[in-house]
Amino acid sequence: MRFILIDKIVLLEAGKRIKAVKCVSLAEEYLADHFPVFPVLPGVLLLQGLVESASWLVRETENFAHSMILLEEARNIKYKSFLSPGSQIEYTVDAKTIEEDISSFTGIGISEGQEIVQGSFGLRHFNLADENPAMAAVDDRVIENMKKRWQLLRQ
Amino acid sequence: MLEVKDMVMTRDEIFEKVQAVLVDALGVDEEEVTPKSTLMADLGAESIDFLDIVFRLEKAFGIKIPREELFPAESLMNNPDLISNGKLTAVGLAELRTRMPHTDITEFQKDPSINKLGSLFTVNAIVNYIETKLK
Amino acid sequence: MRWIWIDKFVEFKSGQSAVAVKNVTLAEEHLHDHFPGFPVMPECLMIEAMAQTAGILVGEAKKFQEKVVLAKIKKCVFFNYVKPGDTLKIEAKIESIAPEAAGTTGKITRQDKLIAEIDLMFSHIDKNLGGKKFPEENFVFTDTFKSLMQGITN
Repeated sequence: MRFILIDKIVLLEAGKRIKAVKCVSLAEEYLADHFPVFPVLPGVLLLQGLVESASWLVRETENFAHSMILLEEARNIKYKSFLSPGSQIEYTVDAKTIEEDISSFTGIGISEGQEIVQGSFGLRHFNLADENPAMAAVDDRVIENMKKRWQLLRQ
Repeated sequence: MLEVKDMVMTRDEIFEKVQAVLVDALGVDEEEVTPKSTLMADLGAESIDFLDIVFRLEKAFGIKIPREELFPAESLMNNPDLISNGKLTAVGLAELRTRMPHTDITEFQKDPSINKLGSLFTVNAIVNYIETKLK
Repeated sequence: MRWIWIDKFVEFKSGQSAVAVKNVTLAEEHLHDHFPGFPVMPECLMIEAMAQTAGILVGEAKKFQEKVVLAKIKKCVFFNYVKPGDTLKIEAKIESIAPEAAGTTGKITRQDKLIAEIDLMFSHIDKNLGGKKFPEENFVFTDTFKSLMQGITN
């Protein structure tokens, strides 16, 4: 099972906004556990969809300067409705600020006109080499891999 | 030790604490939280937020707040005896007055549509309720 | 990929607090995507580990009669990242509990180093989503979760 929680980028305004879609399918193994007889996309994976969307906006805006882009904080992430297999969700993430090593966003996920998830969050961006110069090659490898994935998402 | 509920709080002090609770619970700015602001239309509060707000108010003021006492909407809306054609009946309005003595329902009475019930949940209504509870 | 993000409970005080542990291992497939070249545990999955620890704590307080689901992440902050080979300690406390919902606070540490602070709100869905029908049985607390409770002294 792959850990990628968005399927396609549908809109990108560098530095400002990104929209991505994700299809939900019974093929996603964790649905068997969440929940048996009532499969719905776990709330944290809805947040992951917002985080991934925002991360790509940062990567594209800063031209893949950093390897590591991680969730630093999230506030008032509300789960308003359930998302079932067969549905598609569109995430819209708006940047409040994107600075060199941190960024902040508001995001919302909507499916068939229904709000599913909404909230605010912040990311931090860095290279492993910042702490340990010997890790520069690892940073390069991660960035190369993420650039390949970006090609996949933008097709 | 002096507990919050033993201290005499002015209305302004109560408002400030309520404002802080709403800023945290709803992720809005302080400036957006005025006495007249409605929780739902102005501040974007939803069902789960109402519960979060009740918990935080309990903690902030050291009192117990049964949710239906502060926000009695659900039992009013789900009772067919109190509603007719999407509006509260006279019996319904009387029930509302009893349940929300801390709220001014004059405007609402003119068109007591249940869709507009949310407009009664203002910051002022919360401050009034807390003031009463602390006496 | 199984949707279970804690490995066992090491402490459980019914209605109050609980402590669980999670081992992070290269055997977990998702680490190889996050990120390819340098695996770290996704923060969202740390939130889920807390949600499961706190959710079971809240569920047990009502004898698993309620379907407890995550309704709101009030606040979470991450201070350090987590790598394969790490063991996480997840501590949750019930802050408030009512018939319709519960609020919890908690932290995740790795050998006394603070990794995250996570405050959550849970909804008891049968009491809340008015009009929506859910399957009768409690699909939230499966045998997998209940088996985590075995051997815990209260």
